[in-house]
Amino acid sequence: MLTTLLIVVPLAGAILTWMLPLSRESTAGFALLVALAEVGLWLGSARNFDFGSDAQQYSANREWFDQLGISYAVGLYGFQYWLVGLAVVVGACAVGYGAWVGRENARAYFGLLLFLVGALVGVFAAQDLIVFYVFFEAMLIPIYVLVGVWGGPQRLKATVTFVIYTMVGSLLMLASIIAFGISQGTFLLSEIGTSSNDWIFLGFLAAFAVKAPLFPFHGWLRLAYTEAPPEVGAILSGVVSKAAVFGLVWIVLPHFPEPVEDFRTLVLALAAGTLAYGSILAFRQPDIRGVVAYSSMAQMGLIVLGIFAVNDLGLDGAVLHSVNHGLVSAGFFLLAGMIETRTGTGRFSELGGMAKGRPVLATLVLTLGMFTLAVPGSTNFAGEFAILSGVFDRGWGYAAVGAAAMVLAALYALRMISAILHERRGAAVREDAGDLVGNELMLLVPLVAILAVLTAWPAGITDRSFPADGGAAFIASQEGVSTP
Amino acid sequence: MNGPGIPWYLAISAILFSTGIAGVLLRRSPLIVLLSLEIMLNASNLAFVGFSRLFGHMDGQVFALAVMAVAAAEVCVGLGLIVAMARRNLDLDVDRMTELRG
Amino acid sequence: MVNGGWVCLISPLVGFLAIMLAGTRITRRQAGIISTVSVFVGFAGAVVAFIDAWRRSPDDRTELTTAWTWLQAGQFKVGLELLVDPLSIVMMLVVTGIGGLIVLYSNGYMAGEDEERRYFAYMAFFVFSMLLLAESGNLLLLLAGWGLVGLASYLLIGFHHERPSAVAAAKKAFVMNAIGDAVMALAFFLTISHIGSLEYGTVFAAVDDGRLSDTVVTLLALGLLGGAVAKSAQIPLHTWLPDAMEGPTPVSALIHAATMVTAGVYLICRTHPVFEGAPDVQHLAALLGLATLLVAGVIALVQWDIKRVIAYSTMSQIGYMFLGAGIGAYGFAMFHLVTHAFFKALLFLAAGLVIHRLDGEQDIRKMGGLRRSMPYTHATFLIGSLALVGIPIFAGFWSKDAILASALAYGGGLGWVLYVGGLLGALLTGLYSFRLYYLVFHGEPAAEGHEAEHHGEGDRSMLVPVGVLAVGSTIVGFLAIPGVWEPFETWLEPVVEPLVTPSTTQEWATSAVAVALGVLGILLARRAFRAGRELVPDGAVRTTLEHKLWFDELYDALFERPGRAVAALLRDRVETPIVQGGLDEVAGETMRGATLTASVQSGLLRTYALAFTVAVGVLTLVFLVVR
Repeated sequence: MLTTLLIVVPLAGAILTWMLPLSRESTAGFALLVALAEVGLWLGSARNFDFGSDAQQYSANREWFDQLGISYAVGLYGFQYWLVGLAVVVGACAVGYGAWVGRENARAYFGLLLFLVGALVGVFAAQDLIVFYVFFEAMLIPIYVLVGVWGGPQRLKATVTFVIYTMVGSLLMLASIIAFGISQGTFLLSEIGTSSNDWIFLGFLAAFAVKAPLFPFHGWLRLAYTEAPPEVGAILSGVVSKAAVFGLVWIVLPHFPEPVEDFRTLVLALAAGTLAYGSILAFRQPDIRGVVAYSSMAQMGLIVLGIFAVNDLGLDGAVLHSVNHGLVSAGFFLLAGMIETRTGTGRFSELGGMAKGRPVLATLVLTLGMFTLAVPGSTNFAGEFAILSGVFDRGWGYAAVGAAAMVLAALYALRMISAILHERRGAAVREDAGDLVGNELMLLVPLVAILAVLTAWPAGITDRSFPADGGAAFIASQEGVSTP
Repeated sequence: MNGPGIPWYLAISAILFSTGIAGVLLRRSPLIVLLSLEIMLNASNLAFVGFSRLFGHMDGQVFALAVMAVAAAEVCVGLGLIVAMARRNLDLDVDRMTELRG
Repeated sequence: MVNGGWVCLISPLVGFLAIMLAGTRITRRQAGIISTVSVFVGFAGAVVAFIDAWRRSPDDRTELTTAWTWLQAGQFKVGLELLVDPLSIVMMLVVTGIGGLIVLYSNGYMAGEDEERRYFAYMAFFVFSMLLLAESGNLLLLLAGWGLVGLASYLLIGFHHERPSAVAAAKKAFVMNAIGDAVMALAFFLTISHIGSLEYGTVFAAVDDGRLSDTVVTLLALGLLGGAVAKSAQIPLHTWLPDAMEGPTPVSALIHAATMVTAGVYLICRTHPVFEGAPDVQHLAALLGLATLLVAGVIALVQWDIKRVIAYSTMSQIGYMFLGAGIGAYGFAMFHLVTHAFFKALLFLAAGLVIHRLDGEQDIRKMGGLRRSMPYTHATFLIGSLALVGIPIFAGFWSKDAILASALAYGGGLGWVLYVGGLLGALLTGLYSFRLYYLVFHGEPAAEGHEAEHHGEGDRSMLVPVGVLAVGSTIVGFLAIPGVWEPFETWLEPVVEPLVTPSTTQEWATSAVAVALGVLGILLARRAFRAGRELVPDGAVRTTLEHKLWFDELYDALFERPGRAVAALLRDRVETPIVQGGLDEVAGETMRGATLTASVQSGLLRTYALAFTVAVGVLTLVFLVVR
């Protein structure tokens, strides 16, 4: 019931935002209120959440089309809880940012943002393949519109590219879903059993490889991340990419054990390649968003490494790192937006010297930068460490790539920090470009505060991602419900 | 059951239809093209009625009536367009009407 | 005991957070006070822990406590564990004690700087990180502290962030250390995959009982050594330390002399069972130490920047510590760490007084004759130099000679190489440190007219720490008098049992030779100075030394340029044309096809009709024929 509520509140909020004839300010305020209520709801749901139990929490299951075996089934396990949390928190920050900037066509804009949040929660809470697909597609629509209408100068190209890539992925996945569901007689994840069909597996994999993205399916990434409004970029890189994490952990791993085994080397190699490739490219990007885009790609490669290690360390690390990366990259997108509003550009060649006289901005850029490069001791480091020590069992080469990527991360993150903050004042930085103001801090400080808490206690998530006997055992136990 | 056999009907229908096609393909005046279309429709009507007689079914006759109704409607629209074009002093030449070129 | 450890750890963190959160609500002066007090409270905590431990029996001086589980995944579990034992207490005392003095000194030195609050916050943060490193109860937490001190070092080296050289140096330091971190992390992954734990106790037990094979132990030791070498600026990962002198002088004193850079030595001592399980790696550590102490010693002979000379001397002295730890003389290596912390902090802070007085001048060619105008600084600097060279009664004499004597006692080919090399290093130490001393304090005052009389020798907050350190550099050596009174070694023995113990005769004999060489070095330096000559004449050798043996150039050619090239290649040859361009290609082809199709749509009604008719005819024929 609570899960349904978590999905419905933002969706209903979206519809109300579209319908109520409010002024621009009150629309933004209303949307923010809904987003905050959603965060409150999520926090409240932690109270009765039994993380150790291997029963679904707050589950709801109603038959939808019984002839086809489709039901509306939603519910949460620990790792889903954290992904939902990521979605609602980043969503609230994004709405807040939109309110601060004051977007044109406020009713349409905030409605779409709230709709996006609702769809994301739906994706992360889905327990039925069709429900998953519906929300998976539903979350893409607002993104198309948000990027295509409110985006930067190249927004149309960005949108078209994004549409083509995601549609190809989604359609392959739809074919897989239908083939899988029809052959098993149900779409319910808890009953659908396992399949050893490579093609169905590859269909799912294609959709998630595009979504993550993995090399070489990342052609949409650069433009979409650069052209999206900052807050949409924040959701896109921070949360939407985690749909791939959810899909891989909760659809691919439990239900395709044999193909996972067969294709493990391929996927791990792709993921390691993504990690290295993203890190190297991030080092040569000319602007903030480019660095964040490719570093996001690298981090997603890392997360996929953890997932396909299919052991406790890798899975827990992947969940933790998903949250970390979501918060960090969302924070950096908002920060990039704030810098761009001050200077009109994100290009490093025109930035620089912003630390002087802007201590708050400098501190936040530094802090988020340090999380980006996973400085030892930070929660990002904890996630990275767990993932890499998990994947070490599958081959030391992957861990070695990961370790090299740690050094590369230091290189590109420091380059970005310095290019923004240090040395001489850049051409685009006006003397009177101010420090961050209260409203902006209200958006960034919560993100950093969550990261700080996680730094002190990453086990808060890793210990609560999967039921008591560990991620690998839990995933394996899902196979048990076999097909007739 | 007197009168000519079905081949005669079909032959005339074919001649009419070919005339119609020739008119549509060769003439440039929209009015003539329209007339030629009417001839083609009537050719098919003739075939319908002929077969209807042959098989003793009413379906063909009903269809012929329907075609007439459609043809009437079509002529209304077509002639209307031609009149409208003439009023605007546009060339009455189908080869000049290429607005729909892709 | 543990409570003291907690106070010690938390207090600087509280100071850091307080300054950061207070922002501009507190004055710069208050920020300095908060930082100083928080570090000294930490020192009090360390003292409490020390006294507590002192009163217990030697076997009962280790306490491990877990605050909460830091990271957990399945069977793998790492707690936020604090280990308070004699070894970590030594580090705690050094870090907070000397750290406190240096932060106090900063109050005067940094007065009038921009963004002073940030400076003091970072200093407190550094002390916290260093304590985390020293007090951690497992390898992962140690790595966390290890990375955080690197972060603090980055922040403080780059404190003057508008200076490109400072920013570049900060980045270089961080990246070099990240390499070390990554290597250590790799070794830890290996360990986890074998025994699923990073607890000191579990790992050491696994090394002893053979659950970790020899190969694994060797790799683990190599990983640890990699981290230690990077952090302690030993060859081949040493190039960042001289550049790190871009940071403010107290930073150099605290991080790049007294504490952080010696963390590698602490690491080897802390994980000595692993190194003992892989003797080859341990010997490698000793040899790297030897190489560094000689290379740094000769490079120091030609440097003109007062701080860089001291920085090379730091590298060289850490080389001694590595040498000691590498042959199993852990107690002496740690002892040298302690004495070095005193006299090197003293040298840096005294150099800071000079720089402060000369308004930021660091080139020793523009100094000279400061003996008369800065008597206090002169005296303290001289004490520091004497301690560094190892002249009797001063601290360095006791600790360095003990390491050399251990090398003698170790014997064998390796022992002799280390011994002779170490003695050569003693000669070099005398040469470079007194070259510096004479150039700065003797001779005629340089003509530049830097002799600004406006501020005496410095603020009292600067002079007091220097005095305390001078006293410390004089007396702290008495904690280990061979054969007479050796409380320092006894104190550490329960935790780190040394592999070699030199006899009293060996110690005194080594001392005699080492002191003779040191004095010889001093005399040579003096003669050269009197004659107005440089110690190393111009020529190929000098050029090589001035280029620091071309390490920077080598790394640039080996890693940096190829790295940039690969990145550019990937961007220009793969990403742009293939991944991004591939999509454009698809779109372009589609568009071309569409144009082609569209051209069929001529808009000519009769063409359409003809096409239609022909198609019908063809279809009819087809049906007829197929039938």
